[in-house]
Amino acid sequence: MASMKCTKCGAPVEFDAGDKFVKCSYCSSQIYVDRSGAGFYYALPFAMGENDAIGVFRRWGGGSNKAKDLDKLAQISSLKKQYFPVYMFKRDVDGMEQVHVEPAASTTLPGLHSLKIPGGDLKIFDDKFDSSGAELIKPDIEMATYLSDLPGAAKEQALVYFPIWRLDYVFEQRTFVVVISASSGEVFSADFPQRSSVAYMAVAGIGFVAFLAEGLLALSSPLPAMIMMVGTVVAVFLMANFVARRM
Amino acid sequence: MSVSVGLNCPSCGGAIQISEGDNVINCQYCDSLLWVEGDAGVITVAYKNLQDRDGVLRATEQWWRKGLKAMDLKKKGRLMECYPIYLPFWSTTTRVAGWVCGYEERHYTDKHGNTHTERIPKEEMVLRDYQYTNIACDPGDLGIKYLRNNAGEVSFIDFESIPTFESTTSKDEAVELSKQRAMSDARDDARVPHVTFEKITVIPKRLSMIYYPVWVVRYAYGERMYMATVDGVTGNVLSGRAPGDPLYQSLAVTGGTSIGGLIGAAGLAFGIGADDPTIAIGGLVIGAVILGFTYMFFRHGSEIIDGDFDDKKLGNPLKGFKIAGTKWRFN
Repeated sequence: MASMKCTKCGAPVEFDAGDKFVKCSYCSSQIYVDRSGAGFYYALPFAMGENDAIGVFRRWGGGSNKAKDLDKLAQISSLKKQYFPVYMFKRDVDGMEQVHVEPAASTTLPGLHSLKIPGGDLKIFDDKFDSSGAELIKPDIEMATYLSDLPGAAKEQALVYFPIWRLDYVFEQRTFVVVISASSGEVFSADFPQRSSVAYMAVAGIGFVAFLAEGLLALSSPLPAMIMMVGTVVAVFLMANFVARRM
Repeated sequence: MSVSVGLNCPSCGGAIQISEGDNVINCQYCDSLLWVEGDAGVITVAYKNLQDRDGVLRATEQWWRKGLKAMDLKKKGRLMECYPIYLPFWSTTTRVAGWVCGYEERHYTDKHGNTHTERIPKEEMVLRDYQYTNIACDPGDLGIKYLRNNAGEVSFIDFESIPTFESTTSKDEAVELSKQRAMSDARDDARVPHVTFEKITVIPKRLSMIYYPVWVVRYAYGERMYMATVDGVTGNVLSGRAPGDPLYQSLAVTGGTSIGGLIGAAGLAFGIGADDPTIAIGGLVIGAVILGFTYMFFRHGSEIIDGDFDDKKLGNPLKGFKIAGTKWRFN
């Protein structure tokens, strides 16, 4: 919670990130919170702990386009709890509200270039905020750099710290990195070990052609074709099961 | 520049009471009619959360049993975390009024094999309100982009105790998207296949913000962590990720190759003798489509995804068609 002075009686009035109007609890007059000329600091709380983050990484690593058994074979070399800063600008452009999000720190981490504020319970970031032991990445790009290039008039500008788990892992002697949003569990990655579709396509292709041929054969000699079909069903199932479990 | 701005009536100086979304108010002292300038915000409602932890966990366990999820999920799945959040949604009502004119063509073939084309002129009036909802923050990996339910008890009673996701998208953008969407939906609803003339006016009527209670459930399967979300009003599972089963994947591709291959063969067998190549080609195409769907399940069925996730590759193909037509809408 941040606080400001009541314009009527001077008493401190507390307000939260989403409030537009607040009521003074002493003189009960209403106050409009004008954010256009000030810069606010917000932060999103961590909704996921260390074990959750590792679990989400393993779930992601088991995905169909990731290398087989990436979830089991990847060696996690480091896991860091961090707050990454971005700027959020709300602008009034010809009466229309526009939201712009820009990075506040230079980074090569995946996902932090796509620049969006992940959904979360925005809290005002001040000395009372509990960063729960996370490392704060210092903003090294100034807000003023962006302000001059933005269209329209200011409505609100804020520095938002969003919570991430930065996970480095080693797979087949190569190091990769993923960023996990600790607010929603979304996984960002630039490069990861891929799984080939060749084995899957081969099973489907061979099976289809075999049945096509056997279906045509059934016109002239139904019995041998039927026997072959039964054999093909079993063979395709066994191959598919092997591929789905092992490849 | 001060952050706080006191609100006084410009005629009598009395303190003004105003709530978010008000455009016109009366001064409670001198009764002057006042117009609110600047950013007055939008009308905001919150739905009361009607679910409790146990109900949400039960709904998740029931969802585990449905569909082609791993067969041992109900035994091996371990519920780890379960908490409610309020998600912000833009809710818009957009009126569309106008006329769409054009024609429909119908083809007839008589017994001599001659094809006639009949043109039926059409003149359709469009007058309808379209309601859409769209999430007002980045949904991240929650798999929710619009509301499925628009009924509930309006109450801010849980607002302090349940973490609230703030809106981080532009309200005007939400209105603009609704206008585009309403325009194209109205055009579709007019059902004029060939449009020769149209005059459609789109009028944004109402914008409000709905805070909707959603429960987030995280569960473990082996070492992997999956999630699901449960509607805090209706108790239905809204979205989720679940492990698939290699057995279902293998069965799918076995079924797809055999049925697809045999339909293709049947098409060839009947079509090659006939003059018309349509049967042969049609049979092969149908066979290939069946193969394609089952192949996708075989390739990507190791994770079953329900809801609006960007990496969703599978899904009931028919359901996909329906959602493509009704996304953003809840009426």
